[in-house]
Order: sequence, then structure tokens, then C-alpha cells
Amino acid sequence: MDSIKTEIVVVGAGPGGYAAAFYAADLGKKVILIEREKKLGGVCLNRGCIPSKALLYATHQIVNSRESAHRGITFAEPKIEVDKLRAWKGSIIEKLAGGVASLAKMRGVTVITGRAYFEGSNKLRVETEQGQQFVEYDKAILAVGSAPAMPKAFDLGNPRVMTSTEALEVSDIPENLLVIGGGYIGMELGFVYSALGSKVTVVEAMDAILAGADADLARPVVANAKKSFKEIRLKARVTKMATVGKQIKVDSEFNGEKLSELYDRVLVSVGRVPNSADLGLENTKAVLDEKGFVKVNSQQQTDDPSIYAIGDIAGGILLAHKAHKEARNAVENIHGESGIFESIIPAVVFTDPELAWCGLTEAEAKEKGVAYVISKFPWSASGRALSFDRTDGITKMLIDPETERVLGVGICGAGAGELIAEAVLAMEMGATVEDIALTIHAHPTLSETLMECAEAFYGHATHTFTKRKSAE
Amino acid sequence: MDVKLPKLGEGADSGVVVGIFVKEGDTIANGQAIMELENEKAVASIPSTAAGVVEKIYVKAGDRISVGAKILSVAGGGSAPAPAPAAAPAAAPAAKPAAKKVAAKPAPVVEDDEPVAESADEIVNENPFASPSVRKAAREFGIDLHKVAGDESGRITAEDIKNYIMRLMRAAARPAKVVAEAAPAAKPAPVSVDFSQWGPILKKPVTPLRKVIARRMSESWNSVARVTQFDDIDFTKLGELRKKFAADYEKKGVKLTLTPFVLKAVAATLKAHPIFNSSLDEVASEIVIKEYIHLGIAVDTEQGLMVPVIRDVDKKSMFDLAKELETLAAKARDRKISADEMKGGTFTISNQGAIGGAHFTPIINLPEVAILGLGRGAMKPVVRDGQIVARLLTPIALSYDHRVIDGGSAARFTVDLVKAFENFDEALVKI
Repeated sequence: MDSIKTEIVVVGAGPGGYAAAFYAADLGKKVILIEREKKLGGVCLNRGCIPSKALLYATHQIVNSRESAHRGITFAEPKIEVDKLRAWKGSIIEKLAGGVASLAKMRGVTVITGRAYFEGSNKLRVETEQGQQFVEYDKAILAVGSAPAMPKAFDLGNPRVMTSTEALEVSDIPENLLVIGGGYIGMELGFVYSALGSKVTVVEAMDAILAGADADLARPVVANAKKSFKEIRLKARVTKMATVGKQIKVDSEFNGEKLSELYDRVLVSVGRVPNSADLGLENTKAVLDEKGFVKVNSQQQTDDPSIYAIGDIAGGILLAHKAHKEARNAVENIHGESGIFESIIPAVVFTDPELAWCGLTEAEAKEKGVAYVISKFPWSASGRALSFDRTDGITKMLIDPETERVLGVGICGAGAGELIAEAVLAMEMGATVEDIALTIHAHPTLSETLMECAEAFYGHATHTFTKRKSAE
Repeated sequence: MDVKLPKLGEGADSGVVVGIFVKEGDTIANGQAIMELENEKAVASIPSTAAGVVEKIYVKAGDRISVGAKILSVAGGGSAPAPAPAAAPAAAPAAKPAAKKVAAKPAPVVEDDEPVAESADEIVNENPFASPSVRKAAREFGIDLHKVAGDESGRITAEDIKNYIMRLMRAAARPAKVVAEAAPAAKPAPVSVDFSQWGPILKKPVTPLRKVIARRMSESWNSVARVTQFDDIDFTKLGELRKKFAADYEKKGVKLTLTPFVLKAVAATLKAHPIFNSSLDEVASEIVIKEYIHLGIAVDTEQGLMVPVIRDVDKKSMFDLAKELETLAAKARDRKISADEMKGGTFTISNQGAIGGAHFTPIINLPEVAILGLGRGAMKPVVRDGQIVARLLTPIALSYDHRVIDGGSAARFTVDLVKAFENFDEALVKI
């Protein structure tokens, strides 16, 4: 069978893959985009970022309606139609996936639906519904992503034991939900289900929830989770699971005790694994690390000079926006320009309240021995936060005491995910804390907390009183 | 408070300590010369950036130290260096958690042109930061941001990148450097000859100053299209004027030599012929005509040639010039001259009259475009009004860069220069 020849083939149409394909096409390359699923957009669009945010938004309305009584507005108990909720969420995905497909078409990117398999360094076999299709290329960009991890011991073959993929489908509202893993996926979905009415129990092996963030920033999230969830168990371990009728029997260890409990559903959110198997990578010179991620250099190039890898499959932080940046870098390097990853990657956890940070966390600064000074601004001092009853927030900055450059910013509070953008731009532009303090921030907005946090560094934030530190 | 080695100027970021003028326990003033440093530019005395009692001296003669190196620490008094550092606006009188350590800019020996890092490991910016677009531009040009000097906090703008590239281009345009550094093959490889096989010899190391002289002379030799124009100038009247007023000057403690006359005559001629007071900017393709007249005086010292600069010669009196010449020449011979005092010249005068010899062909002191050499004056028979008379004739040689100045202009300059000497205005000398 004849092969199609192309300059660039992109394998995987997630937020990294389609961004790479589009950018390469914009630079005048002939591009083929291969996706194993019918819908473009990858995990992010279909089973990740977008549907989870849709569900969080929808379920937040439930919480809001319940919390309005003291404002003199009372609603009837909300009626939840799970099928309609799922359909609404699905319509968003349809819209976005359709948008990606039409953007591909407008750019002249050829999309092939099928499983790609490397026959060699410059040849792919694609298993499509219409049969095999061979693609010969100059450069391949591998963007096949990752999937939720499901440890063998938990894999009962029972749909009641879910990963994020199934949990986002919201098949029903379980009365009792166990979330294994208190990372951002477990916590976000924990909030979705608790708002829907589930009694949520979180079991985390480590001694902190959202361990990547500084504890002081995670505190408002933990506080609200403790209020909304049934229980959060730290340093706890699930030892065994078994199907018992329509429930799951879960054996665990917590506080030196052995527990045996029944749950209607279990969400396993213990991390993600790379989709590097069954790709034929052994027929190329690309090398995997011990966890199965594809090794790349600073130009996103694998050990096979014809193959680049971006996004989750290339390891590091598994975030769509990191994949997007790597996509542009990979294409620039293929195009003879120089793209190197040296950017600040913001992290956002869409819990209630949201938690976002960029640059160094305090824990990282300590570990690296970086000198820093902390400045914090509590949202209880923000008029905007008070006006919608969400003073459970904090804005925090790590500052280099010598240069006064911003080393890191963390925000916990409603809308933190949007607010962090200013901090990222400030850091990319090399702003000093004074630059932020001298910039007018509209009143009344939550963005003022960044300005006041910067002012607090100098001991003169308007809406908070910082005891003057001993004079210089 | 520590006193550190300030920035020395273009291409000079380190030097060898020649001597230290102070000792521990001494009380020093801000600006007082504390040590002498020899680098590839010159031997310069380094002023203190603080006042107080010297607590500890960290360097000794023979040490090679770099910009920023601690020289000594002082206790008490400790005043800030002359120009205030670019501090943050005083909007924040409240206590800061930590002082903003903006490196105090040393006052004297700063040159506006930042050095271009020429070797792979030369770091001028320890902690560079720049916006994403600037970083991208730097990447595309293959520029290591550590080699680009930003502002005092290390911030680099697009303008800094542009200037850095311009300086690289300028550096590349300097032919001698290209020969010496980039293309050593263009120069025959130096051969070491054993001269002792023919008799006893004495070996001396080439001093940094000698290296600079060698480099600068080669640069000029290799890049300038030099022409030298000769003439003899009747110095009889000048000699008489000097004799007439020498005693007056002496009374005021200044020795009147012929040099202030030369300075004045040259300054007047330069005013009428500004092209001789210019520089060729090859990068910008421009001839830069300077509206100031700063004359370099070649001084013969034991270590080698030095060229201190006398500023605004056209605006100074003969007496002031004579006085300044005396101090400057003494400073140069005692190696106390600062790098700053040897910068910014617009035209150089090399007077060998005190030593001997007649016409010679001086080498132009780049980036100037002309130089005047004077030989030893002697009484010679001259025909004046049909009579043979004895006059004091001084041989002069004007070397000029033919890339900038044409022969006709040079001839006209010489004619006017001769007139300026021969019709020297007595009123200028009188005090």
C-alpha cells in the first residue's frame, strides 16, 4: 500500500498535539495529525480540564443556593437531573472538539483517525477503520499524553471503581464515595460529588492534602473540604478492595486501626501514567525513562533525531498549558528557530476555593536554599472578597530580599486560577515587588490582593496592618 | 563598609595591584587614592568610595583583582560614594524587611561604553533577567544573557541586546583585534629565538602597559590610511615670548615651557578646521565632529608612553594650561594618573623637542583622526626679505587619517597652524 508523505506528523490531538499541528501548518509545513479517538482535543477537552470545570461550575450553583439564606434569599432544595447535567457537559465538549476539527480543516491539516504505530524512525502505520495507512514523514511530534493510573490491586473490573474518566461521566450520585488520593484530581472531583450530595471520604497516603502547594495556601481548601466532605484521612492506606453486591468493600489502615467499610463508588486518583506502550517506539531510537515517559532534550527532541515529544508523554508536570508551550518549542526547533523551555508554569487547582501558584513555592525555596522573604495578604481584608462572602483566601509572595524580584506567588481563594495570570506575567517580565505595588489595580477586585500583598512587603498595605519590622 | 574595585572602563575588568597607598589604621577620605592598579589600559590610581579608618586591607601588590573585588574595609564615617545610587523612589519611608542592595556606582572611572564580553567565560551579569521576547531574541542571536550588562539590577531590555550586538560589530570591525584574536593565522606565528647564542642578554616581562601600547599602535597601523605632512615652523617669536614671560610665571610657581603655546596654537587651528577634531564611526557610517577640544599630550615615562588629556584647551588661559601640564606630566611620570584622565582626547600632540630629533611620522591615536609631532627646534639660516637670517625652526609633522581628511585640507591646516605659531598673540601669554 502506498504511503502518504508529509513534512510533519503529529501523533495525538490533545492540547499539545493540535497546538503543534496548527503552529506547524501556520509556518507553512505540510502536517498530518493522527488521533485514535473520533473527537479531537485529547484528555483535556474530553476527560479532563473542560468537563471537570463544567461540573464544578454547575455544582457550585448548588452550594451557592444553599448558602444564600443568610442574605435573605432562599431557594427550594435543588433538583438534580444527572442525565441533563451530563448532556450539558457533553454539549460543551462537542462544541470545543468541533472547533478544533474546523480549525484543523481551515489550516489544511490532514486529520487521520486511527492508532499510530512507529514502523521506523520516519514511518508510521496507522490502523484506521478503513484499514492500514502508512505515513512517511520528516519529523514526528509525539503527543500521546497520559492516562489515569489504576493500580492492579484496585482494578476489580467493576465500574463502581472509577478513575477520573468515569467519575466525569457522572453515571449516578453515589451516597458514599471514597476518593483514594488527595491530589488535585481527587479534591476537585470530591467537591463535585459532595455538592451533588455524596458523602465523600478522602484517603491520602501522605500527611497533606494537595502536597505540591504550600500548606498555608492549601489550608482554606482543606478547611472547606473538611466542612463539605464526610472525612479526610491523612497517612491512610487502602489495602484491599472487593465487590460486595452493589457496593465496594474497602479495607484500609488509618490511625493504626484496620477499617473495613462499604462504599457505593470509589474514585482512584493516585496519579497518571504515560501512554507510551503499543506505539512501536522500540522501532525508533527514542528512549523511555524508568517510568515510561519519553526522554527529550531541551529542544523536545527524543534520542531519535526525527522524533520530538511534548506534553504528558515527555514527563515533567502533566499540565495542558505546559504541553502547549512545548508544542510551540518543538515546532520552532523543527522550523530552525530556537525554542527552549524556560517558562514559568502556573499550577491551578480548581477546588473550592481555588488554589493557584507559580514560580517557587516556599517549600522549594527552602529545599534549594534560595533566600526569600514572605509577604502575605489575607482576603479577610479584601472588600471584594467580603462582598461575596469568600474571605477564605490568601495571597502570598516569595520575594528575593536582595533584588526584590518576585520569586513565586501563591493564591488561594475564589478565582485564584484567573488571578495567577498577573503573577505569571509579572515574573516573566522580571517584575520586582515594587513594580506590582506601584501598579494600579481596579477597585474593588480580587486583583488588589496582589497589589496589597506587594505593599505589605514594604509594611504599608492600606487594608492590613503589618507591624513595622525593625528598621534597616 | 567595604571598598571594592570599581568598574574601570571599556575592556578592562581586572588589573594587577602595583602598590597600596594606605595601611590599616589610616584614616581615609572619600575619593582619596588608596591604591594603584595596572591594567591593559594604564596604571590608574583607585579612589576610595568610603571614608573612615581602614580596618583591613584585603589585597597586596602583585595580586590580580577584578571589578567588584574587596580592596579594604573601613570603619566609622562610612559615607556613600559620590553619585547616589539609583534608589527606589522614596515612596516607602516605612521599614523594609531588607535593604535593597543596589550596587553603588563608583564615581570616577566609569566609561559609558559597556564592555563587550569577548571570551566565552566572561560573565558581566550574574543574575540576568529579561522579558520572554527579549530572551527569545537573545536565543536567536546566540547571545548568552550573562554577557549582557543590564541595569544595576541585571534587567536586560531589547535595547540592551541591540547595543550589545552593535558593540560586538564594532569590536569585530577593529582590525587589530581581528588579527590578534579571531584570525591568528593571518599573522605569522611568533617564533622564539634564542638570542643568548650570540651574546649575553637580559629578559624583561612585557608589562600590561606595554601590551596596551603594542595593541593600540598595531590597531592604528592596520586600520588608518595615514599620511604625514611635514613643515618647519618659525618659533623665534614664541621663544622670545616665552623668555619674556617665563619669570612672571615662575613667580607664580609655574614653569612656562613651549607646550602651552603649542596647545593654544593647535586649539585655534582645530577650531578653524573641525574635521581634524573628529572621529570616524564605522558602524554608524558617520563622522563625529566634536565641539570640544581636549588635547592629548604624549608623555614619555619610564614604563612607556602615556597620553594624559587636557580638556577644553580653547577655553583655558595659558597660565592654567601651564599649571595643568605640570601636574599632569608629573602624575603621568609617577604613575598616579587615573584612567579617566587619559580618556576623551580629540587630537594628540607628541612633542619630542625636549629630547631631540627632527621630523618623524607619528602614529594616530585612535579614534582620533590626526596627530601633531614636534621635533627639536634649532637655529637655521632662513631667507627673509631677500636676506639670510638665523631663525629658530621647529620641524613639525602632521599625521592624518586620509579616510577622513583629504590632502588639501591637511595642507590648509598646516598653513594655518604655521600662522598660528608665527603670529602668536602676546595678550594670551600675559598674566
